[in-house]
Amino acid sequence: MSKEMIAMILAGGQGSRLYALTDKLAKPAVPFGGKYRIIDFPLSNCVNSGIDTVGILTQYQPLVLNEYIGHGQPWDLDRLYGGVHVLPPYQQASGSDWYKGTANAIYQNLAFIRRFDPEYVIILSGDQICKQDYSDFLDFHKKNDAEFSVAVMEVPWDEASRFGLMVTDSSDRITEFQEKPKDPKSNLASMGIYIFNWDVLEKYLTEDEANPESSNDFGNDIIPALLRDGRKMYAYRFSGYWKDVGTISSLWEANMEVLDPENSGIDLFDNDWKIYSRNSGLPGHRVGEEAVIEDSMITDGCVINGTIRHSILFSGVTVEPGAVVENSVIMSNTTIKAGCKVTHSIIAENVTLEENVKVGAVPSSAAKEIATIGSNVTVGKGAVIGAKAMIKEDVKEGEVHD
Amino acid sequence: MIKANQQDALGIIFANSYDKEVSSLVNERLMASIPFASRYRLIDFNLSSMVNNSIDNITVIVRKNYRSLLRHLGSGRPWDLARKSGGLNIVPPYAEKNVKVYYGRIEALASILVFLKQQKEEYVFITDSNIAANFDYKDMLAFHKENGADVTIAYKNEPIPYGFMNLQASPSADLYYTLDFQDRRVVAIHTNPKDYGPQNLSMNIYLIRRELLIEQVERAYADGKTFFERDILSPQLDVLKVYGYEFKGYTARITDMVSYYNENMKLLDPENLEQLFAPSRIYTTVRDDNPTRYIGRPKVKNSMVADGCIIEGEVENCVLFRGVKIGRGTVVRNSIIMQDTQIAGNCTLDYLITDRNVEITSGQELKGSPSFPLFIPGFKKI
Repeated sequence: MSKEMIAMILAGGQGSRLYALTDKLAKPAVPFGGKYRIIDFPLSNCVNSGIDTVGILTQYQPLVLNEYIGHGQPWDLDRLYGGVHVLPPYQQASGSDWYKGTANAIYQNLAFIRRFDPEYVIILSGDQICKQDYSDFLDFHKKNDAEFSVAVMEVPWDEASRFGLMVTDSSDRITEFQEKPKDPKSNLASMGIYIFNWDVLEKYLTEDEANPESSNDFGNDIIPALLRDGRKMYAYRFSGYWKDVGTISSLWEANMEVLDPENSGIDLFDNDWKIYSRNSGLPGHRVGEEAVIEDSMITDGCVINGTIRHSILFSGVTVEPGAVVENSVIMSNTTIKAGCKVTHSIIAENVTLEENVKVGAVPSSAAKEIATIGSNVTVGKGAVIGAKAMIKEDVKEGEVHD
Repeated sequence: MIKANQQDALGIIFANSYDKEVSSLVNERLMASIPFASRYRLIDFNLSSMVNNSIDNITVIVRKNYRSLLRHLGSGRPWDLARKSGGLNIVPPYAEKNVKVYYGRIEALASILVFLKQQKEEYVFITDSNIAANFDYKDMLAFHKENGADVTIAYKNEPIPYGFMNLQASPSADLYYTLDFQDRRVVAIHTNPKDYGPQNLSMNIYLIRRELLIEQVERAYADGKTFFERDILSPQLDVLKVYGYEFKGYTARITDMVSYYNENMKLLDPENLEQLFAPSRIYTTVRDDNPTRYIGRPKVKNSMVADGCIIEGEVENCVLFRGVKIGRGTVVRNSIIMQDTQIAGNCTLDYLITDRNVEITSGQELKGSPSFPLFIPGFKKI
């Protein structure tokens, strides 16, 4: 029995620009939006689009991600035939290799794809926040009788040179690919989401692997090779919400956008396109007598006695009386004790802020400075964590970090 | 072989216990699937307590209105009960040739004798569904063994609830029991007493050796007996060593609508909440709701709110279940709002229990009282 389309999610990204947040986990495992991790988005998109076979290619700090995915039940991906498979690099007879590039990661798992004998393979990125119906994308691919399609976003012309751009003809057939060009001929930026005909993917990955000069990357090597050979390549225009949360400030911003679904376009309240996740299993959150909660999202198991403004609280967060949290993201099981002031910050899981700690500051300039505290950190009484600070280790009582 | 199931006990849960006392809540369900504490069903507490105490072979006996419970339980995975051996076993009427709509516990147990005989566990826990507790089955089993008991009954020393005191004397009335002890051994079981002040009120949790249970049920069934407590235990207190195990933990006992209301409200006290949800986790089915969203500056005080709600209005002393919407300008006080209820703007609601999926249109004023909360049945539009 063959599958029409299976998905391969590239989830090896280190996300080094997320610093303290990706110290112990890969970028796709970074918590987002109150109860999700970034990888919940591509996984849920797959399931909601009707894809039931997904390979997740991991490499960097895979422990949290492996445990999180488990047998895939939260996404309904625990299947007898298909389902979700975590695919780390492995030892082969000819020796073992880390994944050298995005194309090599898929190449090393051709045997996995072959088992399902699909007609099409969709390559996804595990570190993008996006709700997308891949079945629409596949319809487009089939309608054009394409061999390769790439999802693209229209970006403002003055920003176009930051992206990999698809130059197309009037029928959206790709005629040229420009990687971060000085003089962009197009404003259609690649989202790094590809559909391949399986035979084409297999052929080009195998040839690419045989080429010692290649960097084994889809953008650098595979797409130019397809173009060179005049393959039928199309650009699929996507206009929904899409965010690559590569930096602390973009992660913070994307979280803030979740609070404003009417304007931002990222609506997590969409019952027709649910984002699934592994749930905490805690009772409903408790709001005390003194609590103030405005424009915020609060998750099961929180205990709120302080003031929360325009913030996202993950499950099991405690905010004591007199503490104020504003414009911040507070991840699971963190405790914010009495008298703390937290503003424009991201605080990771299992952090304890002792009494009267100050974290972050309202940004004074256009540069968004977001104070960040990594997981399992304890910050001593009265400590001050400045707007630019990136805290990975315990902070002593009264210490000041800029 | 290593015994993964260290407790060597199986569980039997009666899902329809005391249904009659909360008739409006069980119109489309049964006691075990009544929503409780913002996101749970009553049976979650028993299932979780059993699983947390290594009891992983659990039979749920249902009598009627069990669709919602079946849907809730599914394969039993949320409680880690989707197992090849043991796991969750649901027994509806007519499940087999000899399983019929039972009247008393003896009939029900008689209809699963074949199953009971095939099991390997040495002990059986039998429980009802109208009490939410983080129950320590391990401790009760240890107590049972220590006393060399034949049967152990868990009880709570507390006054008889108003709902029980109010029961009409009729042959079909629900039964409750209080216990008299000499040392810890039960010397008398009183059926539906009307005494005031703290009593040794049975929690209807029983522990008995499986072989002994089979033997007793076979005999009682042949004699045409109905009630386990009244007809098996009570007359044999001199022959059987029946002991009382006092449970000192937190319990929420549902005996009528008012107790349902009060037991939900009591969980707004963080101390009670902590006791019910400790020492171990309570599991339930996952609905994948998004976090609850507070829009603008709603005033929410002293409330418990599950995921998936959207709150724009004022909420005070309330328990909100999953997916509830509270519109702008609406004030809800002292109320229990079950899952997916939509309350439009500018309403004033006080002392309400709304069942699931109720829709309240804008500008409504609805008021119950503490002793008589106004109940709105599920899927009603007001």
